[in-house]
Amino acid sequence: MIAPGNEATTKRRPAKINVRILRQDGPGLPGYWERHQVDYEPDMNVISVLQKVAAQAKTSEGQKVPPVAWDCGCLEEVCGSCTMVINGRVRQSCSALVDRLLEDDANEIELRPMTKFPVVRDLMVDRSRLFRSLQRVKAWVPVDGYYDMGAGPRISREEQEQNYPLSQCMSCGCCLEACPQFNKIEIQRQPGETNEDYAARKNAAFDQGFVGPHAISQAMLFNSHPVGKNMASERMEALTATGGVQACGNAQNCVAVCPKEIPLTTSIARAGRAATVYSIKKIFDR
Amino acid sequence: MNSPAASAPTPSFLERNDFLIRRLHSLSGLVPVGAYMCVHLITNASLLGGASVFQNNVFTIHSLPFLPLIEWVFIFSPIIFHAVVGIWIAKSGRSNLQNYRLTGNRRYTWQRMTGYIAIIFIFTHVFHLHGWFHSDWWLKSVAEPMGMAQFRPYNAASSLANAMNSLGVVWPIFYAIGVLACTFHLANGIWTAGITWGVWLTPKSQNRASIACALFGVLIGMAGLSSLVAVKTTDAKAAEVIENEMYKSRIDAHTITPDDHKRSGTHESVEVKPVPVQ
Repeated sequence: MIAPGNEATTKRRPAKINVRILRQDGPGLPGYWERHQVDYEPDMNVISVLQKVAAQAKTSEGQKVPPVAWDCGCLEEVCGSCTMVINGRVRQSCSALVDRLLEDDANEIELRPMTKFPVVRDLMVDRSRLFRSLQRVKAWVPVDGYYDMGAGPRISREEQEQNYPLSQCMSCGCCLEACPQFNKIEIQRQPGETNEDYAARKNAAFDQGFVGPHAISQAMLFNSHPVGKNMASERMEALTATGGVQACGNAQNCVAVCPKEIPLTTSIARAGRAATVYSIKKIFDR
Repeated sequence: MNSPAASAPTPSFLERNDFLIRRLHSLSGLVPVGAYMCVHLITNASLLGGASVFQNNVFTIHSLPFLPLIEWVFIFSPIIFHAVVGIWIAKSGRSNLQNYRLTGNRRYTWQRMTGYIAIIFIFTHVFHLHGWFHSDWWLKSVAEPMGMAQFRPYNAASSLANAMNSLGVVWPIFYAIGVLACTFHLANGIWTAGITWGVWLTPKSQNRASIACALFGVLIGMAGLSSLVAVKTTDAKAAEVIENEMYKSRIDAHTITPDDHKRSGTHESVEVKPVPVQ
């Protein structure tokens, strides 16, 4: 259990917390700011603030409003679904502790949905492009059946230590939100369009954009897996296609904001090296 | 899932060859543009050794055959390519420095800003001293009346000093800003190219490379700024006398051919006609 707040934070304990939320009623609609005020409790996180905000469904001016919508799952920073922009910085709202946020700015907590993904409603975003990127680079190990293939090849300790941090990615989208080369692609559903047509149109648009650091890192993870290696050239093909690793601008924000401290820039440099070798091979091997 | 979408936009030429173009952009920034910039700044800094040392270096460069062709193939075309693709790349991103005040992010933004400054600087600088094109009509009726195309290779230090002092402190300040922007762009560009091509992988090695690139930048920047100081302290009149003497001896030694286009207009036109070899 988390120990109760220490001396320093108890001293500065306010009676009320002001929250400013960027709301949006639906996809493609304009956003608007709304102020809410909730009672302070010790050891709150942003999720518990949002629970109070939604329960009272009333702005600080006393106006009745629809409850604020947000996404969350595990509440322990491993699912990535509650990612949002808190006080101007992308992070998970479950691990954003109110006492810490009030140390930065005692007056107000500012909540915004991620800016690089289409908003579904209020703080909920559609992260399907993030998962499409993982499809683009084939971020999986191919298994062609369920029969026993015996023990797999041994993985050296060195390689295990290199791969384990990469396997911690929870697809939260922080790296994409902070990346200046990853820009929002929002495709609206057309009237009468089927789910399949809409998905195909979205994917076609996503495939022209930057895959993002998370997908590059996952490609490196599966390219060093003894079975995943079989598809290494397909992954390199994806990483050197439109929006591949070359779209990286080396701002290195991704690694700075990653909540799992995944060495994303090392993965990007490894992908760059692999792409150099792959493209030279492609020219001279044909 | 992968059914061909009816309204899928056909990717443009740039998008289809994204990887190749960006890698060529990275390569062109190192070689020939970056390498040329180093040679250029070091040659300029030789003016610190006096007008005669500088003139001697310029004579050597101008003894190369087909100089306009070399200029266009190895200098102008790569710079134009690097600039055009660079603008396209810069426009593909959106800086978020306000929210993420991180060193890498700062460098990302500065790389783009110094790139824009470098484009303006280089195109103005080449117009100011070189004139862009070698055509007589262009030089005599367009560039020179505008106070451009001022450099005379066979009166290198004197014509340079006159050109740089023609607008008070305007040109020296313009050149100082331009040279520093180019220096940052090259030093930081070498560092990012090392990541792009996969030379330095880990944060530790990237840090070491970053320090090495910073040292390189300081050296090249100092070479660039010191040549500006050297220009400011050059006595154009005295330099021109030395240059004209060197010109005559070069003509006598048959190491250059007479070329009035490459000399200042102020010299007395008493050409020492080389005696034709029998």
